[in-house]
Amino acid sequence: MAIKTVYALVIAVIVTAVVVGGGLYYYYTTVLAKPRANLLEIYHWWTSGGEKAAIDALVAVFQAKYPDVGVIQSPVAGGAGYVMKAVMKAMVAAGEAPDAFQVHAGYEMKPYIDAGYLDPIDDLWAQQGWEEVFPPVVKDMVKWGGRYYAVPVNIHRANVLWYNKHILDQYGIDPATLETWDGFFAACEKLRAAGIRHPIAMGGIGKWEIAHALEQIFVSQGIEFYQDLINGKLTDPNDSRLVKALQIFNRYLDYVNPDYATLTWDQAVARVIRGEAAFTIMGDWANGEFLVAGKVFGVDYGAIPVPGTKGIYVLVVDCFERPKGARHPENSIKWLIVVGSREGQDAFNPIKGSIPARLDADITKYGPYQRQAINDFRNAKYMAPSIVHGSGAPEKFASAFNDISSAFASNRDVSAACRGIIDAINAAKDEYVKEWRLY
Amino acid sequence: MEALLNEIIFLPIIHKVPPGRNMSSYGSIPLTIILMVSLVTAFFFIYGLIGWNVLLSFTKSMGLITSYELAGSIQYMKAGSDPVFQISLKNNLMLIMLFIPGSIGLGLLLAVLLDIAGSKGETLYRTIYLLPFSLSFVITASMWAWMYNYSYGVVNTLLTALLGRAFQINWLGDPNIALYSVILALIWQFSGYTALVFLAGIKSIPESQINAARIDGASAFQLYTKIVIPQLKPWILSAFVVLMVFALKAFDFIYVLTNGGPGVSTYVLALLMFRRAFFETDFPYGAALATILFTMVISVVVPYLLLSSRGREK
Repeated sequence: MAIKTVYALVIAVIVTAVVVGGGLYYYYTTVLAKPRANLLEIYHWWTSGGEKAAIDALVAVFQAKYPDVGVIQSPVAGGAGYVMKAVMKAMVAAGEAPDAFQVHAGYEMKPYIDAGYLDPIDDLWAQQGWEEVFPPVVKDMVKWGGRYYAVPVNIHRANVLWYNKHILDQYGIDPATLETWDGFFAACEKLRAAGIRHPIAMGGIGKWEIAHALEQIFVSQGIEFYQDLINGKLTDPNDSRLVKALQIFNRYLDYVNPDYATLTWDQAVARVIRGEAAFTIMGDWANGEFLVAGKVFGVDYGAIPVPGTKGIYVLVVDCFERPKGARHPENSIKWLIVVGSREGQDAFNPIKGSIPARLDADITKYGPYQRQAINDFRNAKYMAPSIVHGSGAPEKFASAFNDISSAFASNRDVSAACRGIIDAINAAKDEYVKEWRLY
Repeated sequence: MEALLNEIIFLPIIHKVPPGRNMSSYGSIPLTIILMVSLVTAFFFIYGLIGWNVLLSFTKSMGLITSYELAGSIQYMKAGSDPVFQISLKNNLMLIMLFIPGSIGLGLLLAVLLDIAGSKGETLYRTIYLLPFSLSFVITASMWAWMYNYSYGVVNTLLTALLGRAFQINWLGDPNIALYSVILALIWQFSGYTALVFLAGIKSIPESQINAARIDGASAFQLYTKIVIPQLKPWILSAFVVLMVFALKAFDFIYVLTNGGPGVSTYVLALLMFRRAFFETDFPYGAALATILFTMVISVVVPYLLLSSRGREK
């Protein structure tokens, strides 16, 4: 190496060291030493029109209460938090956690709990009297090792069968007959005979749309079975309930549009709206699609629990928490108080299309579908956390479950799918740390 | 030393060149410094972090908990017993075997056609063919998802019109076909780029050679197969390396078009890495997969760089 280059290299190292060192010195002595601005920074994935309006309403409640706190919202676009999940894990691991972030209650919180990135908030729960207003399964979803780590803000229902009322009326199908799978398939057969070849609409481009339908069929095989499934207690691929569920799904797929693999969930809902299909199984965020299309609940469309799941409420729950080392811990707590309050939940949920996680919602503020949902929620015999939406089972199982469902939709191999489920449970064996009690 | 430092630091500012020395020998020193500073930064942010990633894959880290205690090659063993890893690897190899020759072949054909067409509308055609490559993969993947739609997609509509209903293909819903659908779409997207590279190569061939061949009575076919294409070797090689690297690290297009489905039939290594790391919070395993991918890419790129630098020395 030429002597010149050696000098240059030495100088380069010195210059870099001076620049970086100076920068760090400035950061630690000036930026960090300054009194911190009175801010609250939150992350969430509510970016579509209605969702954004909903979180803005919640923030408005916060700002009315704490006008001196500036709120920074950092939304990360991507349905069901598919993008934010990755962003947040990277941020938290880098020690850059915000004051609160949206996460699905249940197993999606586990990596943060395991690494000790969240603060327990038992005191807050006691102080706010939340013990009394949230139902037991919902409370369990934010509890780890007997301690509370988050506050649920809303409940979406996963086990909803949406139907086009005009089609049902036209062919004389009574929704009451759809409470069992036999009745449901009889209706499908009737519609097919009348020329609607694919009476069920399903999406599948993201795979979870398929897994979502299968999950509800699992629930329809009884709450005991579903509890065994999410507790990782199934061991036998020939378990009659497991086989039966896959057989039902196999029959279900006979009536599904063949182009499901290229459709999103909302494109599937749109088929029901346009009357090209009569049914679709989707969470109750689908209600927003009907509303945007100008359809009236009970006139143009209807919603009932998925066949065999009457009295069961399959839960999709978003929550907020206080990350360890949050820059503004007091504001984080203030935010959680608003998130858990009746006022906050009744501001957020009517717009979001979900229902409050609290049992004491002001029902007059909600639309007709949501009123029905709130009633079902209050009178639910059982509640069950969804696997597909991040709550019920370890992430590893949930991820494999998507692949298994998507493979089954094309190969229709019941025994392979049953084996796949058991293998996925065994592969995630060490991660079943929660013991759900659903009944 | 002090004098030297003064010279180096202030020279470029005061622009005073001492007698007897030429400008270039001094001008290069500040340039070297700037280069070195960016090199040092780049070394940290690129190679330092690659090194950290490799280290992570050998540690006892779990989920979001980082540990620097070494655990040996557990994560690499995991890849050996992960059935989806094998499928992903196989799919990457399929991409290499079909997507690369497809893109090069089609690109070559287009380049020759563009060359024959001559200056007439060349700019127009060039733009048309390059356009797909300038679009984001997310956009083209969404477009292909519509076109591949089983019931309403334009591809099946055309097939039905030409051959009848029996010839409808479930492009993305059939696990035996989905990977080929992906490859077909990727060839479409990349062939415009390869065509442009090859066209530039054709243009660089001296006119005299072509004229000489013409005078000797070579047909157009002979002209291209005997004179033009053999001289495109370095261009084909460089396109090959670009395509190879893409075939190994393909992610966004597949993520949007099939998300690895149906089942796991269109998984590739990069997608597997993303899912294992961020959806199953298995960061050390994700790091191991990243290291494997990195090794594969390096083993393609380094020989090419050596080869091309040796070629230049000659």
